[in-house]
Amino acid sequence: MDPMLQVQDLSVHYKTRRGFVRALEELRLDAIQGETVGVVGETGSGKSTLGKAILGILPAGTQVDGKILFRGRDLTQLSNQMYRRLRGEEIALIFQDPMTRLNPLMTIMDHFVEEIRDHESVSADEARRRAREALVSMGIHESRIKNYPHEFSGGMRQRIMIALAIVLKPSLLIADEPTTSLDVIVESQILGILQDLKRAYSMSLLLITHNLGIVAEVCDRVAVLYAGKLVELGPVRDIFRKPLHPYTQGLLSSIIHLETKELHSIEGSPPNMIAPPSGCRFHPRCPYAQSICVERLPPLVEFEPGHFAACHFGDKFL
Amino acid sequence: MAQPELGDEILRLDNLNVHFPVKMPFVQRLLQREKAVVHAVDGVSFSIHSGEILGLVGESGCGKTTVGKASVRLLNPTSGRIFFAGQDISKIGGRSLRTLRRKMQIIFQDPHASLNPAMAIGRAIGHPLWIHGSEFGIQNLSSTVFRERVQQRVLSTMREVGLTPEEQLYDKFPGDLSGGQKQRAVIARALILEPDLLVVDEGVSMLDMSIRAKVLELMLDLKRQHGLTYLFITHDLATAKFICDRLAIMYLGRIVEIGPARDIYADPKHPYTKALLQVVPIPDPDKRKEKVLPRGEVPDAVHPPAGCRFHPRCPAVLPSCGWEGRDFVDFLDEHLSDPKRAGDDELVLGPIENWRTNGLVASLEAKPLNIEEAVERVKAVLAEAPIAMAQAIESVSTHKRTVIIHFRPPNELRQTQVGDRIVECLLYQ
Repeated sequence: MDPMLQVQDLSVHYKTRRGFVRALEELRLDAIQGETVGVVGETGSGKSTLGKAILGILPAGTQVDGKILFRGRDLTQLSNQMYRRLRGEEIALIFQDPMTRLNPLMTIMDHFVEEIRDHESVSADEARRRAREALVSMGIHESRIKNYPHEFSGGMRQRIMIALAIVLKPSLLIADEPTTSLDVIVESQILGILQDLKRAYSMSLLLITHNLGIVAEVCDRVAVLYAGKLVELGPVRDIFRKPLHPYTQGLLSSIIHLETKELHSIEGSPPNMIAPPSGCRFHPRCPYAQSICVERLPPLVEFEPGHFAACHFGDKFL
Repeated sequence: MAQPELGDEILRLDNLNVHFPVKMPFVQRLLQREKAVVHAVDGVSFSIHSGEILGLVGESGCGKTTVGKASVRLLNPTSGRIFFAGQDISKIGGRSLRTLRRKMQIIFQDPHASLNPAMAIGRAIGHPLWIHGSEFGIQNLSSTVFRERVQQRVLSTMREVGLTPEEQLYDKFPGDLSGGQKQRAVIARALILEPDLLVVDEGVSMLDMSIRAKVLELMLDLKRQHGLTYLFITHDLATAKFICDRLAIMYLGRIVEIGPARDIYADPKHPYTKALLQVVPIPDPDKRKEKVLPRGEVPDAVHPPAGCRFHPRCPAVLPSCGWEGRDFVDFLDEHLSDPKRAGDDELVLGPIENWRTNGLVASLEAKPLNIEEAVERVKAVLAEAPIAMAQAIESVSTHKRTVIIHFRPPNELRQTQVGDRIVECLLYQ
């Protein structure tokens, strides 16, 4: 099957007063229909930048190179007007904090009606009917559609955000830390809803998160980002069973879960993104680093079918 | 982890209550007969012994942060008593409270927000020494001797928490530090007064996974070397399991289960504890499983549910757990929100606003001629309700044009000793 989304050699550099921040460098990633791809990384890895780049909502003046192909169309070349049509209709985004994304002065109904009528020329009645339907499908009573965002609990707000994101039936849903501000039980509920939806509409889901536990539970494939570079990509089982990049290995062993007997961490801290380290960006923290790691940037190599890693010594971990 | 010898009691809470008034407009306040309060903490008791780490675990809004703040008297208890090293500190204030603060420190979730961005790290860490300087017998705070002593202390504390190279970092500002370094600076600032008790409120939750372990290890090291005692507040059961000796599980202002951490993980008793343990993600794609989750979300703490506060969401609920009128109305609301299940029930039983509740009673003034049908519909709806709720109903009756649903009074909920822990659940009574 042709990938629905193909990100090819995407670089995003933010302009700041101290210089360019190289948030993403030559990233490659694709997603086929109905697939859940987890994008994993820590603070400053560029994972949120990826989501914003796909949706074309990077700040003005940001330098973007490479291609983002969505159903064959290059999104980086799209006019603002075309992008507006695409957003919501074909690609939708769910943010971490629903309270900051819902307008406190608009009722839930207004949010839906605005979203629907911005994209489709339907009557207000029809828009309202669909709004009610979307809300009910998320388990919220339709009588509450006239309420304002602050009148809902955190979990309900996130469900409203999801309902709002899928009301136009997009084929790609990008969820940027969708459960991080929620309680653990509600988090589990929301993840369940996202998976049900994905199945029902055969959507693709790009799940951006720092939580590897969630990735293990819901993703089909995983992309691991470190300091703006894709360091490993592969099926979720391969990544968890046989991580090839030392950063992925370190990240996996630093998860604290119920069976944890010993604590592990990665030495050092993430690099300065204005002047990132030479060669492999992970080398200052890597326990296996050799001189080649300092000198040469490791290419992304397919070590096993579908399992890529950018490490000079990836084959040693096979 | 070996169970350490229990030292002296450092902190004891005795039936602590903290209620916050609900802000409302003046007129509404005049009209309302009862004062609305948030029951943030409702009758919490526990003690922490020297060298112990007690984990306080719960979801947001369960009152765990309020317990933490009240323990170091950043909040005043509404009632109940707080003992620190045997001294009742629930009512003290002013100078004696300030002296005491030297012995108890608190660390918050966001290290960035806890540090003054315009104050150099070294100065920030040494700041408590200036504030409490007079208690070290130093009269002249501006003397060079004192300045130098402070600087030496700051540098050695920075070394101890791993904030190195300390000489270089001393003059840096918070903006120059990474998240992990900032949290270490916050820990150093809390430690510089050599406290006996450290309250850590979600102290590692904001840190990246790869550095979280380091900070936890630091806390364990400090415990071993200084016999430091911790109240470790978190929502993350996996972290709590690793670091805590004992655990207290909180739900809506109450401790529902408390006991040795190992036992609670091996065999959770309270259904809420079980639910919390179940949702901890397992980092293994081969162990995916369907979860039986509690329904809904934590209800509002202004009117907490009667009986056991977890009962409306509990998967193991009994008819005697505290069902009452509003539980039925909540269920009916949910039922009516699903058009497929509800059919035309809304015409007879809705809108939901017409229902009145009063303790064990829920009632609806039915539309004329509909009274018989309303009773029938109520019974049909109840057939789909959680069995425990349906069984808790004593009668569905009519009075003139009003349908009245009566619930049986619940059994009294008590804290019960189960093995070496205390559980608040009817299943174990």
